[in-house]
Amino acid sequence: MSDQTSTAPQSRLAKALDSDFFYNFRRSPVAVVSFVAVMLLVLSSAFAPLIAPYDPFDPGSLDLMNGFTAPMAPNDFTGDVFWLGTDDQGRDVFSTILYGMRVSLFVGFAAVSFAMVLGITLGLVAGYVGGWVETIIMRAADVQLTFPAILVAMLIFGIAKGVIPIQHHDQMAIWVLIVAIGLSDWVQFARVVRGATLVEKDKEYVQAARMIGRGRGIIMLRHILPNVLSPVLVIATISLALAIIAEATLSFLGVGAPPTQPSLGTLIRIGQGYLFSGEWWIILFPSVTLLALALSVNLLGDWLRDALNPRLQ
Amino acid sequence: MRHMLSAAVLAAVCAAPVAAEDFKWAGTTDPQTMDPHAVNSAPVLGFLNNVYEGLVRRGQDMSIEPALATSWEPIGDGEGWRFHLREGVTFHDGNTFDAEDVLFSYERASNEVSDTRSWFAPVSEVKMVDSKTVDILTKAPNPIFPDSIANWMIVDKGWAEANNAALPDKENGNYATLNANGTGAFMVTEREPGLRTQLKPFDGWWDDATHNITVAEFTPIQNPATAVAALLSGEVDMINPVPIQDAARLQGQDGVQVIQGIEARVIMLGFAQESDVLKYGADAGKPNPFKDARVREAVSKAVNVDAILKTIMRGNAEPASQLVSPAMRGYSSANMDRPAYDVDGAKALLMEAGYADGFSFGLKCPNNRYLNDEAVCQAVTAMLAKVGIDAQLDAMPVSNYWPELRADNFDMYLLGWSPGTFDAEHPIRFLAHTPNSEKKLGSWNFGGYSNAKIDEMLPMIQSEIDDGKRQMMLDESAAILQAETAYVPMYVQPLVWGTRDNVTLTQRPDNFFILRWVNVQ
Repeated sequence: MSDQTSTAPQSRLAKALDSDFFYNFRRSPVAVVSFVAVMLLVLSSAFAPLIAPYDPFDPGSLDLMNGFTAPMAPNDFTGDVFWLGTDDQGRDVFSTILYGMRVSLFVGFAAVSFAMVLGITLGLVAGYVGGWVETIIMRAADVQLTFPAILVAMLIFGIAKGVIPIQHHDQMAIWVLIVAIGLSDWVQFARVVRGATLVEKDKEYVQAARMIGRGRGIIMLRHILPNVLSPVLVIATISLALAIIAEATLSFLGVGAPPTQPSLGTLIRIGQGYLFSGEWWIILFPSVTLLALALSVNLLGDWLRDALNPRLQ
Repeated sequence: MRHMLSAAVLAAVCAAPVAAEDFKWAGTTDPQTMDPHAVNSAPVLGFLNNVYEGLVRRGQDMSIEPALATSWEPIGDGEGWRFHLREGVTFHDGNTFDAEDVLFSYERASNEVSDTRSWFAPVSEVKMVDSKTVDILTKAPNPIFPDSIANWMIVDKGWAEANNAALPDKENGNYATLNANGTGAFMVTEREPGLRTQLKPFDGWWDDATHNITVAEFTPIQNPATAVAALLSGEVDMINPVPIQDAARLQGQDGVQVIQGIEARVIMLGFAQESDVLKYGADAGKPNPFKDARVREAVSKAVNVDAILKTIMRGNAEPASQLVSPAMRGYSSANMDRPAYDVDGAKALLMEAGYADGFSFGLKCPNNRYLNDEAVCQAVTAMLAKVGIDAQLDAMPVSNYWPELRADNFDMYLLGWSPGTFDAEHPIRFLAHTPNSEKKLGSWNFGGYSNAKIDEMLPMIQSEIDDGKRQMMLDESAAILQAETAYVPMYVQPLVWGTRDNVTLTQRPDNFFILRWVNVQ
């Protein structure tokens, strides 16, 4: 009887709950708190249309007379009350934060995915193929590392603005942001993947695969890639926080998300104009949200790095 | 670490006390050029009024007073005006000023590559009588001509020709774009476009200096909050403008003062009226609805100017019904009411015009030219959405904005107009007359509004000496422009400057900041 239960295949969930990884997670309050915070923020922005009392992206729903309403205080003209107040256009700050966070998170995830795919591909090729291909890829990475990422992103953004016809700027702004941030971020991935690939490529299982005549592409994808992924996961998490901040920085500088589709950075930029005039809520709440988002993702990344490092176990 | 260090050094430099006569000021817009004939816009002309001078100039109360001309009188029966030039005036480089320079500056400023050529639409010829006397002949009697040339600045012929800048070049620039050689109270000693411009008093100036500045430096600061912080910290002695939202708070601060007035500038919406198709938005390529006066009227009814004034302008501006403010000569009291805010009326008009389902178009807007310009455009976008028309807002810095408007890249746009002559005739000449390059008229009428009656009346207004008859024609023009909604005038922009409280200066309603009236205690 007891033999049977111990050999019966565990369900996947049970397996995951029983793993070292999950045990480690449960034991780390920082990880639990930051995970909950991230999930809360991600879910609330994902379900923004259901949660938010207003749709800030629909200009027809705005009433300018609601502008500059303080949090929890009735507006002088309309008597409407807003939890976190309104901005200069009468947009509800709470709703705008939820919708703005969607833009920030979407840009963050998409940019990191883009950087990850690009970086892994180039890293794998550089590490496995070697020779002049490696030299070209890695020197390009070195050159890019000498520029601050935000500068690279701004450069790409500027070029895109010049190339794309002006009537498509608003629709394209988000995609340009993603490409700009992604392109400025692939180097991290490429370097780590190349290093790991160099270690893996002379191991027996790879030699065996080569011996039985498998192609380079298959070996890289099917054999090496799964074995270099865990450091990539760590970098991806930390890059996500950085990408969200990069997006906010670009939007803050006025080169990111358009004012009609504000992201957290755009909101902070708008709020900054009212810092001295006493409308503190326009800048404070988006800033705190950005802080919470970036901090919790970062803490989660830190924990992940330790948890996945066999030497710290 | 390095960033922190450089930030600390920067802070230390900024905090260092400035010598009393060292005067620093900041504004949102850097003057695009140092060439007085290249760009006809207030930031350029206002700045260069410190460096260059015209035959006449405006005093602290905007009255016309002698400058490079000591006196003037009409010639014959309305043929033109004779100007007697001042003796002993030299340019900053030491060259002597004479009638040759006036003739040269006329040719230069009225050339078709010059942005200021509309000023000379009434002029038929400029003649040199002798080296100190010039006759300016007009096509028709022009009683207000001397009032209209205060911003026509005189450039040294020898200097311009020697430096290959005989004509202005507003697109590519030339020597005169970066260098200046006027007769005015201040010389441009250093010019880094977009960063800083340094001025020093001109020792050889013909007039008595009433200021105590030894070095003046202008820095463009685009972000209004940064400018306020710079003023509060004493990094600059004066900022123009103070963001409206900060005026009340600054007023209560020690060490600074807020100087407030009403500017002569009317902020309005303009339409592409010549273009057959829309250029932007989802309906790009479809017939242009703004050719229909009913659609334009619907826009004017849909815009809730009161709401803009109460919130964005915080009660610091007055609504406008026509292209000039009530303080201007020739303001039409008969047309002082602007169309009431009326969403249903606007929808009805749109339906009548065949746009019951609305349409989508592009709205161009500057984001660093007028007070809260981008916020106003966003608000307009939201208000238009309420009547079912979808404006795609594209806000940009002013250095990109004018070229876009000149290239007709808009369906609707935001414009502020301050009549240089302080007369209602001025916007008719620039904004309402059919664009006509030959006659130098309608040069800022980007949308191509055209009305035969207005075109017919303009020369009559210009030459009418009887005030009553002139006003009747101005009233009629204002009525036509209102009836056809040529533009949607929204409000008269307030003028809000901030200074350290050891600074005394004069605020003129044209928003020109004249350094020679500045004193630092």
